[in-house]
Formats: sequence, structure tokens, C-alpha cells
Amino acid sequence: MASGSEPWSSGVAEEDALIGETTDVELLKRAWRNEKAAPEILQFQAALVLRAREQIQLLEGTVEEFVGNGVDDLAVSLYQMDLDRTQFLLRSYLRLRLQKIEKYMIHISKTNLWNRLSEQEQNFAKRCTDIMEKHLEQSVLSRLPFGYQSILKQSISSEEDDMVPEPQLDTFVFCKTRGDVGAFQLDDTGDEMVDLVADDLYVLRYKSIKGLVENGQIDLV
Amino acid sequence: MEEEPMSVVFQVGANGVGLLDPGSETNNVEKGAKVDLPFWLAHDLYLRQATSINVPACFNQKTRKEIQADAACVDLRMRCPYFYELGCKTVPLVGDKSIGSFLLQAFSSRYKEVLSKSHSTPTTTASKFLPRLTKEETQLFEAAQSSMASFKKWRVGGSRLEKASILGKKRKTTLPIDPPSP
Amino acid sequence: MYGRRASQLLGELAAAETGQLTVYNSDTFDQVIKECNEHNVQLQSLFRKMEEQNLDIQTTRNEDYFGAVIHHLSLARNKRCLMAYMYNRAETIQSLRWKIGKKLPQEIQEKLSFSEGEYFKNHSAAIDSYMSELDLDLTVDMIPPKDPYIQIRVLDDIGEVSLGDLEISLTRHSVHFLRRTDAEQFISQGLMEEFLG
Repeated sequence: MASGSEPWSSGVAEEDALIGETTDVELLKRAWRNEKAAPEILQFQAALVLRAREQIQLLEGTVEEFVGNGVDDLAVSLYQMDLDRTQFLLRSYLRLRLQKIEKYMIHISKTNLWNRLSEQEQNFAKRCTDIMEKHLEQSVLSRLPFGYQSILKQSISSEEDDMVPEPQLDTFVFCKTRGDVGAFQLDDTGDEMVDLVADDLYVLRYKSIKGLVENGQIDLV
Repeated sequence: MEEEPMSVVFQVGANGVGLLDPGSETNNVEKGAKVDLPFWLAHDLYLRQATSINVPACFNQKTRKEIQADAACVDLRMRCPYFYELGCKTVPLVGDKSIGSFLLQAFSSRYKEVLSKSHSTPTTTASKFLPRLTKEETQLFEAAQSSMASFKKWRVGGSRLEKASILGKKRKTTLPIDPPSP
Repeated sequence: MYGRRASQLLGELAAAETGQLTVYNSDTFDQVIKECNEHNVQLQSLFRKMEEQNLDIQTTRNEDYFGAVIHHLSLARNKRCLMAYMYNRAETIQSLRWKIGKKLPQEIQEKLSFSEGEYFKNHSAAIDSYMSELDLDLTVDMIPPKDPYIQIRVLDDIGEVSLGDLEISLTRHSVHFLRRTDAEQFISQGLMEEFLG
């Protein structure tokens, strides 16, 4: 973060308001909202999380310094509130992702969703899967007849993995376009078209706008 | 929903499963036997061409007429607690396409009633109306009620930090006799 | 009817309110396991009968074959129900780490099977190791913050606690002004309540 090395002055806060969307807090808020509303796990925002953590550290330092220097309470508590909000966003963002991993760990580890996780999340997912497998193994699977002991398949006669919980991608989501997308095809057959205009709200199936979320053309709300 | 009984006719015989047919005197089900099977079994046997499936009674002409007359008054739960889901899953099995439009018609005419009642009904009179709803409709009803409750809570404000609901609602029974120390 | 008992297990899950845990029903669970094995015995004996008649199991479609199919489907259905029962409970159990914390109260422990108790401990440890890799506690800040400090009332004698650099004695009925993040876990465990005065 470029401004990270500069001391925080009251002027910076004003600038932030002007830059609007481009501050890290705003970016984090957007990542958090998208993650919250999307049924599947999204790409981990590694650089953004790193910057947010640096920023939090910096703010913590500032607040401590202010308390030490006897800066007036109101100013300190304003900084503290700002800090708290960023902390919440960061924690909630990471937490949402962990909860998705908890829910769909096997599905994630079998698909290319795996590459969307951070290194720590991958460690977590691996551990969770091991633990869940061990638990199901000893409570159910080991007690079933031969041929029915797979965690992924109902029986050896199943051709596909038919026992893995997967996210429901055809659920409806609220979303807001960031710029004009133009005529957009909602389904494979091309029967349903919608004209996505900038800054408009829509309720659509996640599946059909998945690509737009991933490349940042649309935000979930 | 997977347990809903479906009336099927066996197109083949099956040995060692006499339990399925209460009328059978052997441990086998004869070809042509008419029995009720849970949906999951009826469905998979249909896919293997071992059974044919009859249209469930809840989608027959009599129910359809009742729904047309006064949709909101029909007790659908009694007929099938998973009326809509069963309907959707039955269509490909029985080849009666008219079930689809019937479901839609039943749902849309009952939906409005469900929503408006969920906002306006006091809990005392809801007891008359709730038992007529299918599971799907009950979920809608509850969703509407809880979103209204959250909205009211948000508007009034108040504590958002709460005890984890799993720990049970009962407090320690000892009442504070002394005034709380500051 | 085949699979009836297994669906009773799931009925128990469905009847409980979301997020609530029912007592682990080991009796019914064991009976369903037994049913699975009985289906398998019947399935195998039907297949054996076909083999004795030199029939190809892959292609023959006789009464024995369809009997075996029904036993197979019933076994698979039972397995699905057992797995769903265990898996759904495991999901509720792992959510407890976020809601209550590392230590489960007696009343909840009693509802778990042995393996479920282990599961909670291991899963909880996995969350801990993630948090320590990140050096960030994710179990606080569960709701969006308003004020950094809140007024709380203590509901139970908690005793001496050190919060940050502050030593504080939390006796029952006392009212304190604490950092929200410090108070949060006590509140979710039912030891404090937010005091709105």
C-alpha cells in the first residue's frame, strides 16, 4: 500500500472519501459482500488482505500513540471505531471463507476451486477433510458391508461421486452492475436475454452471472 | 419427501422382497402386483423399468377442482406435505405434463394469502390456518414472519449480542434479592 | 417398509430447530446398520443363486435380479440416511466452535457420540491452527461493530479475569464497561448480558 508509509493525518480521511471505491477498505467491503452472497467460494484476495492487515496494524499504532500523547477522547474513539470496522470486515471475510470450506471441503478439494484458497486455507481444508473422513469412517462406513464403504460414492456400482455436498449454483442472488455490460445471455439456449445497465440492481441466478462476478463486472449485494 | 408413498405396478417379479407386498403369501413380489412404495424406491425401480407409477391421488381431478374453486382453503398438507416437490419430481415419471401448470396455479393463488397472513395473523388464529399449508408453504410463512421480526428489531435497536441459542433459554432460577452492586 | 427406520433418524433432525442438537440416537442408528447388513446378506444370497444357475449377473433380468436390485437400493438408501444424519450433526457440531467456544458445556457433551466428541475437538483444533498461522483471532467480532465499548451485566460469578492489560473481578450482578471484543464470548456463553440501562 503506497500510503502505508505515511503517517495518518486528518487530511487522509478526507482524501479517502474522495477516492471512494478505490480505498482498500472499500475493496475489502466489496470482497466481503461478494463472498457473503456467493454460494461458492471465490478467489482469495491475497494482496488485499495483506494490505488490510498492514493498515490495521498502522491504525492500532496510531490509536496507541494518541492515547499515550493525551489526544482528545473523541478523536481517539473515532479512530478506534474506524479500526474496529476494518477489523470486523477482515475477520468476517476470512470467517465466511472458512465456513464455506467447512461446508464444501470435499467438493472444493476435488475441483479447481482448490486454487482459489490461500495456503493457510488449503491446510485448513486438508485437515478438516481428514477429520471429517475419520469421523464418518469410524461412525458409519466401517460398519457397512463391503462395496458400500466409500465416502464419495453410494456403492461401488455408482459411476460418479454421488455423495459429495456441492454448492447450489442456481440459487438467486441480488447483484449490482458496476458498468454497462450490455445484452447478456442468462442461459445456454439463449432464450433469456437481459440488458445489464450500469449501476442497476438485478435478481438473477448466480450460475448465469458467475463469470461477471469473477471478473469484477458485477457486485453481489 | 423421499418417503412419500407412491402407488406402483410391478412390471417384473422380484424374489426375496415379499415385505413390500402385504398381499403376497410368498417372500416374493409377483409381476403385475400393485403396491405402495416410498418415492425413492419407486423412482429408482422406474428408471430400471421394473415398475410403472400411477399419478398420486393429490394430483387427481378432484383436488384440481377444489383448488380451482378456492385455492387457499384446501388442506394440502393432509393430501401431501411435500405437494410441490412431489409434483415436480413426479411429472417425468408419469408423463402427465398438466401437473406442472396445475402446481403453478395452486402455488400462485395460495402464495399471496400465505404472505399477507404471515404479516397480519396473530399467533392465536394462525393455528387454524397453518395446518393446511404444505411444508414448502410453511417455510415461506416462517421466512416472511422472521424477516418481519428482524426488520422490527433492527428498527427499534437493542442488543445484538446474544447468548448462543443452543445453550437453552432457561436462566438460573435464583432471583436477585439484593440490588445489583455497581 | 425398507428404509423406514433410517428416515425416522432424519425425521429427528428435521424436527429439531435449526442449529439445535438432538441426543445422538445410537439405538436406531445401530438398528439401521444392522438392516444394511441384512440387505447385504439377502443381496449376496440372490446373486449366489444366480451364479449357481450359471446366469450372468450383468445381463440377466430375472426375479432374483430385481430382488437383489431392491436390496441394493434399500442398502444405498439406508447409507444415504446414515451419512446425512452424521454429516448434518457434524455440521451443527462444528458450528458450536464459532458460537460457544472451545469448551462444550456438559448439557451438550451428553448429546454427542464418542466419535462426535472427538470430531469437535479435532475440528476445533484445525480452526485454532488456522488462526495461529494467521495470528488473528476470528472468533471475536461476530457482528458488525457499533461502539468499541459496551456496558454489560455479569450473570454468573466469573472471578478474576485479565483483559488486555486490565485485571478485573467479574462478580455476579456487577456492571462493567468493557471492550466489545472482550465481552463478546462471555455473552455468547451466557455468562454476561449487554446492559442497555
